[in-house]
Amino acid sequence: MDHFDSKQVDEILAKYNCDKSRIISIMQDVQEIYNYLPKEALCHIAEKVGISNAKIYGVATFYGNFSLEAKGKYVLKVCRGTACHVRKSATILDALYAATGLNEDKHTTDDGLFTIEIVSCLGACGLAPVVMVNETVHPQMTPDKAKALIEELRAKEA
Amino acid sequence: MADKMMIIDGVQCPFTNERNVLEVARNNGIDIPSLCYCENLSIYGGCRLCMVENEKGAIDAACVMRPRDGMAVKTNSKKVLDSRRTTLQLLMASHRADCLTCDQSGTCKLQEYCRRYGIEKEAFDTNTYSKLPKDTSSKCIVRDPSKCILCGLCVRMCSEVQNIGAIDFAKRGKKAFVSPGFGMEMADTSCVGCGQCAAVCPTGAITIKNETKTMEKFLQDGEKKVVVQFAPSVRVGLAEAFGMPADVPVTGKLVTALRRLGADVVYDTDLTADLTILEEANEFLNKVKTGAKLPMFTSCCPGWIQHVEHAHPHLMPQVSTCGSPMEMMGALIRQQFKDEDVYSVAIMPCSAKKFEADRPELVKDGKRVIDLVLTTQELVRMIKEAGIDFANLPDSETDAPLSKSTGAGVIFGYTGGVTEAVIRYVLADASPDTLQTIAECGVRGLTGVKVFEVTAGDLKLRIGVANGLGNADALIEKVESGEEKLDFIEVMACPNGCIGGGGQLPGTNARKAERYKAMLQADMDCEYRISQDNPDMKYVYDELVQGRAHDLLHVHYPDHDRK
Repeated sequence: MDHFDSKQVDEILAKYNCDKSRIISIMQDVQEIYNYLPKEALCHIAEKVGISNAKIYGVATFYGNFSLEAKGKYVLKVCRGTACHVRKSATILDALYAATGLNEDKHTTDDGLFTIEIVSCLGACGLAPVVMVNETVHPQMTPDKAKALIEELRAKEA
Repeated sequence: MADKMMIIDGVQCPFTNERNVLEVARNNGIDIPSLCYCENLSIYGGCRLCMVENEKGAIDAACVMRPRDGMAVKTNSKKVLDSRRTTLQLLMASHRADCLTCDQSGTCKLQEYCRRYGIEKEAFDTNTYSKLPKDTSSKCIVRDPSKCILCGLCVRMCSEVQNIGAIDFAKRGKKAFVSPGFGMEMADTSCVGCGQCAAVCPTGAITIKNETKTMEKFLQDGEKKVVVQFAPSVRVGLAEAFGMPADVPVTGKLVTALRRLGADVVYDTDLTADLTILEEANEFLNKVKTGAKLPMFTSCCPGWIQHVEHAHPHLMPQVSTCGSPMEMMGALIRQQFKDEDVYSVAIMPCSAKKFEADRPELVKDGKRVIDLVLTTQELVRMIKEAGIDFANLPDSETDAPLSKSTGAGVIFGYTGGVTEAVIRYVLADASPDTLQTIAECGVRGLTGVKVFEVTAGDLKLRIGVANGLGNADALIEKVESGEEKLDFIEVMACPNGCIGGGGQLPGTNARKAERYKAMLQADMDCEYRISQDNPDMKYVYDELVQGRAHDLLHVHYPDHDRK
């Protein structure tokens, strides 16, 4: 992030009175704006609520829902919960990794298009295996459908 | 009075208000092992080594167990020992055990417990330790994540006692590690280098930077003289490493040991502690007279100075401009050996002094006034390496013409000492009655914050003394909110002052109390008790300082955070 404008973050901080016991809510709201938690925003929050950089970094890295990296335009949440697992969600994840060139350690494509996240359960077990693309649910996925999904999104962007 | 009783291993153990079974046991001579517990920090219950078995045959951690009257626990049953051994083996699996070359070897608690419980071989894959790189960016401490067992003592010390929070846990589960925020290096954090994290670290994950090899090079260099000064509290922090009681000062033996190691000239920093008092007390009286903004803060503690830079830069103009006693002695050494190039080495109880010595402000006439700082711990290593039988050394004296010091200089080593020395100077009376009155004014004792009043003629002074940066911050908050109005504040970054410094041997509160006692004794043993009586001061001002007091003895730190 080149220029961090603290205005929006300050509004969120004001909403929670800079209360450090509301730190998670503050971070959630900030992530809502940026899609992730920029370092500059976290350092700014830490200073305003009166906790150390090391502490806020600890909170941000403790919870799987917080991301310190900018996410792609399409965030693909691959459910690896029990129901999806028995319906072979592992093969879907592999297909998505293969189609995007991502892996367990690299979550976002260099062109900023795709982010693949593993989630524990989306609560849609009846539709297993499930992949969410941003807010859209894609039910009963197969490796082929996964590959087609990526191609379709790519074509849309081209 | 102990009014309650619990039974530990069949032994009646009286207790009063101990906060857990672990403390009750330790107070009754039963050393339950623990890697994550410290009497001065909150209870974590993370290492699972202090397991004990209760009456029902269940095992639980003694550090989180409230003692009850009539309670019975076993600390050495089969269940307990099995649990401890498994825990130790699991800890070993996530710890890089390069014990032969580890800086902490011999004082590592994990190593001690593995030997105590007869851990014979690794039961689990031992390649699961953290692969994060060693952080050597700080001038004071070294962090090696591969040896970290996640006990969290450093994290709690840094946030609870020092109120800094330079490091904390990141991530979780098997991916968890301790680190500054955002993978920064220590040098880029608000770490002040106090070394208290290293003092509580049970393994070699955080150690004080070891520079004994540099000292060796200095000593082996036949060309240049090595001039060594040693701080007040080193004389009381050393004895325990050589099996001697900690409550007796060992100044004479220390001087002999330094000479045997090869030091050409040995000075006692006590002398410049006296000089600090002359300069600082006059600076203070002048501020009072001219109505300058008060309180004035002391400046001898480098951890405190860094903390002001990071957390309270606006207070810098209120911090005394006096250099620390180490700085002043360094400046005097450069004047004393004006025509010679000498190595100026300081033995300090302190890891932050390593940072201070490297500051641009400590370069005078184009030269660093201190070339190298070694901690008490590093000196102990060198004495042991040289095979010196420290306990049986004869006494010797420091070198003239900077050989005299007073009790007021000695007491810089504990919290309140600088203040007491200033009061002695202001009252300017070395009679036993006056000294006794000063000792009883509220300045003494190892309490975290002391506030008291002193009357000197028509001057009525309200003084605050804080040790530990968390306590200092709390006191500053009171002053800034107007709740407390003070004229003078002494701050020592380390709990108990330099006797508990990060460069000293790590010790319990009881051990630090013994060092305190030894300091009081060292003060009593002095021929002179107030700084203005130091007979060498005339030589210092006439021959060495020669009107350059402001230039040589004072330091101007920036009043903004340089980060």
